[in-house]
Amino acid sequence: MARLSYPLDNRRLVGIMFLTPALLYILLLVGFPFLLAIAFGFSDVTVGNTDLNFVGLRNYFAVWENDIFRQVFETTIRFTLVSQIFILIFANILAIIFTQDFTGKWFARFIFILPWATPVSLAMIGWLWMLDTKYSPIDYLLLQTGFLGPNGILSNSRNLFWLATPDLSQISVIFVQVWRMTPLATVILMAGLSSIPTDILDQAEVDGSRFMRTLLQIKLPLILPIMVIALLFSMITMFGDMTVVYVLTRGGPVDYTRVLGLYSFQVGIEGGNLAQGAAISLFAFPLLLAMAIFMLRTASRAEVQ
Amino acid sequence: MSIVQITSLKKYFDSVRAVDGVDLAIDQGEFLVILGPSGCGKTTLMRMIAGLEKPTAGHIEIGGEDVTDLPPRKRGVSMVFQSYALYPHMNVFNNIAFPLRAQRRELKFDKRAIREKVENTARVLEIDSLLDRRPRQLSGGQRQRVAIARAMVTQPSVLLLDEPLSNLDAKLRANARDELKDFQRSSNITAVFVTHDQIEAMGLGDRIVVMSEGKIQQIGTPQSIYDDPANEFVATFLGSPSMNILSAKRFRFGFRPEHFLPKTLHDNPENSRIFHYYVKRVEYLGSDRLVYGYVQGHERELTLAKVPSNVRVSLDIEGDYEFAVHNRDIKYFDNISGQRIEQQSLAQAF
Amino acid sequence: MSLLSWILQNFWALLVLLFLALVALRIAWRIHRFGATRAEFVYILRRSPFYLVVLTFCFFAAAPFLIMFMHTFKTDGDLYRRPQPFVFRQDPTLEHLDALFNNTAYLEFIRNSVVVGIAVVIITLALSLPAAYALARLTGRWGERAGILMFLVYLVPPTLLFIPMFRIVVLLGLKDDPMSLIVVYPSFTVPFSMWLLSGFFKAVPPELEEAALVDGYNRVEAFLRVVLPLSLPGIISTIVFTFTLTLHEFIYGLVFIADTSQRTLSVGVPTELILGDVYFWQPLLAAALIIAIPVGLAYNLFLDSLVQGFTMGAVKG
Repeated sequence: MARLSYPLDNRRLVGIMFLTPALLYILLLVGFPFLLAIAFGFSDVTVGNTDLNFVGLRNYFAVWENDIFRQVFETTIRFTLVSQIFILIFANILAIIFTQDFTGKWFARFIFILPWATPVSLAMIGWLWMLDTKYSPIDYLLLQTGFLGPNGILSNSRNLFWLATPDLSQISVIFVQVWRMTPLATVILMAGLSSIPTDILDQAEVDGSRFMRTLLQIKLPLILPIMVIALLFSMITMFGDMTVVYVLTRGGPVDYTRVLGLYSFQVGIEGGNLAQGAAISLFAFPLLLAMAIFMLRTASRAEVQ
Repeated sequence: MSIVQITSLKKYFDSVRAVDGVDLAIDQGEFLVILGPSGCGKTTLMRMIAGLEKPTAGHIEIGGEDVTDLPPRKRGVSMVFQSYALYPHMNVFNNIAFPLRAQRRELKFDKRAIREKVENTARVLEIDSLLDRRPRQLSGGQRQRVAIARAMVTQPSVLLLDEPLSNLDAKLRANARDELKDFQRSSNITAVFVTHDQIEAMGLGDRIVVMSEGKIQQIGTPQSIYDDPANEFVATFLGSPSMNILSAKRFRFGFRPEHFLPKTLHDNPENSRIFHYYVKRVEYLGSDRLVYGYVQGHERELTLAKVPSNVRVSLDIEGDYEFAVHNRDIKYFDNISGQRIEQQSLAQAF
Repeated sequence: MSLLSWILQNFWALLVLLFLALVALRIAWRIHRFGATRAEFVYILRRSPFYLVVLTFCFFAAAPFLIMFMHTFKTDGDLYRRPQPFVFRQDPTLEHLDALFNNTAYLEFIRNSVVVGIAVVIITLALSLPAAYALARLTGRWGERAGILMFLVYLVPPTLLFIPMFRIVVLLGLKDDPMSLIVVYPSFTVPFSMWLLSGFFKAVPPELEEAALVDGYNRVEAFLRVVLPLSLPGIISTIVFTFTLTLHEFIYGLVFIADTSQRTLSVGVPTELILGDVYFWQPLLAAALIIAIPVGLAYNLFLDSLVQGFTMGAVKG
């Protein structure tokens, strides 16, 4: 009884009181739609006909046997994996640069944060112009330097058609993804680097370690757990993203840049087949979950060492 | 022969003068302690010797070579940090081997030589059974040994130690102090040890450098610093409880509480100065009694006496007694500069 | 206008000159400070590869924004006929900026985004301030588990949820109403700010709260009067990043709201300023740049604080 007579002093009680609203809100707002998504996947719901009739695994089989879906799934994984490699490399370099002191750092940091700070869909407008089929400033530069044009090294045409050929459109999308997501990974790595005790770095210096050895044998192993977290963040953002391709290509040419999120949007919302759309996006979930669990485990194991 | 020679060394951080003109010669094989309160510049001085901090002005020579502009790895020094700074992701063997591998090109070691060196050093420090462990699996004392092993493995000409005992609990500390001193003596390495703990300094140092406000106040053996302080700062910084300081007209004078005893305990009072002492409070400390009171004529300045418990003198609260100090135990200081003044030149002034 | 057109017409030359002037100024200052020794020039030479790397990265990051800036002021003739993207052949014009603000729904998009952003920030703070404090201090193991759960929820991407969410929004009659976004956005802002805030709360020494408890406050009061004021800088940076998260969101905004006048910036600009196949390039690029610059400045200003919150949040759990 004594415990309840001062409810606002009870650690546990106040803890529950403080945590519950947020937990409830999130569970309702994420958990319920998530369950609904699963239910949709087993039904024949459409925008026009909202009855939930149980149809078993039909949607999933239909989706899985769909060639377009296979290709979309593959493209999504390819985009995610390839872009992560470049993001990790660039983010490491940039994190090392920006944890040092140099003149003009503030301004350089501002410039380099811009791709991340700008709302994705707006930044993509800039790239839509940069990669325009006819007016691309990049093509213009290549034309002036002789890489394009009648006797061009890359092509005889005046344009490369960045977003209109199968290979280039994929490369363009990956490049733009790397461009916009490197800053986030960098910031996370910066947090890791700045949390290394200065004593350790001083010690390495006294021990005679040079820049590269300190980097490879001290700094990188110590931020490994945080690197895994950065990777997890950017992989999941990338995997679930549809904004970039929505603005740049709408999935084209043909299906070469169609990713899972966009496909599910096009089938579910634009095509009105909510059930199939839900089924498509649900295919991503086990993969995401496995990825998250695997990486969090790796991170915590690395930390224990 | 001095192995480290420091000439008018200065380090300013913006307007803060962390080290403000230090001259110091460190001898081969000696254990030198740099002692001072926090913020006195002792750690900055050590970091400059290590090469982690670039001096604003002045020179550092190690082994006869000017190293002022050289990076740490070219100086032949090694360092033990307060936190030990063991690499948490490497086991003990790799921690100790790290400086050897880092300087492999300069020192020309192959893999086998590295293994041998690490194992030898580990044996000397009695950590050869721990080589496979990671730092977090070690006790505080073991970590300290690993840190020392890592510092010693390259056979540096100077070993720098930045308060390496302060992370140990009191019981371990005394033990670790002995071991450190024994180890230094047997290996005959030059050690520079920074601390704010005067007991550590007195116990370890062949010589002690007392620093305050970026300047060296006094250099000397523990005994000479305690018995012959160069100025009022050194006099009051060393000793616990610290020296009593009383004001006279044109100077100040001081004496240590343990020299301030009832007159009856002095064998020849004619060589002593007698004070009328009013006892306000007595603390019983076991082996000693700590007496708080006032000397007649100096009622504003609390004066302490430390009287051994085994002498049968009764000291009552609010009693008046005659206390005495031997003349040689009274130190005189300049009123303004705080510097020591020779006793003879003042004798008449009394 | 004449100054602006002069600047624009000499844009690249001015950019290079400005850069060189800054470099010269810096070198002059260093020489003034340290003396014109040979070592100083060796130092500058040794540093130059580093700066080259920095400049390269900056160039790639900034390229689209520089193009956005220049193209905002180009006339149609200059843009489409005889394209020459890097110089002005015709005088720069402000007509497209004028058109953006007066002939399009841009201002309405901004208003919608601000309204949604502010409302979401308020809801997010109300939910996540106490929850983050509970995670940081009050709860033991189960709180930690709840924290990990929240983290996992943050990892569920919107592409997984937007279809059922859309159904719910329709059922609630919130379709085409920014209210729908205000309700749904906390699903990702709350986990994010909980995580960040609990990092800031952990940085407050517990002794201060204990002192407040001894001084006669209860736990809730100790939180309100001691912890909150002390973490104000962290809270402000959480507000900034929460707001920008809502500014960034695209998928829900696209799916829930089809009515032009109700759309937010991130959806409105790329969908409504394009009529079928007709792109109004100058207003489009201007619309993007006008948002990018202030958000970029805000990010840079609060980046250190974000890094600190992230580090503290990652220390435990």
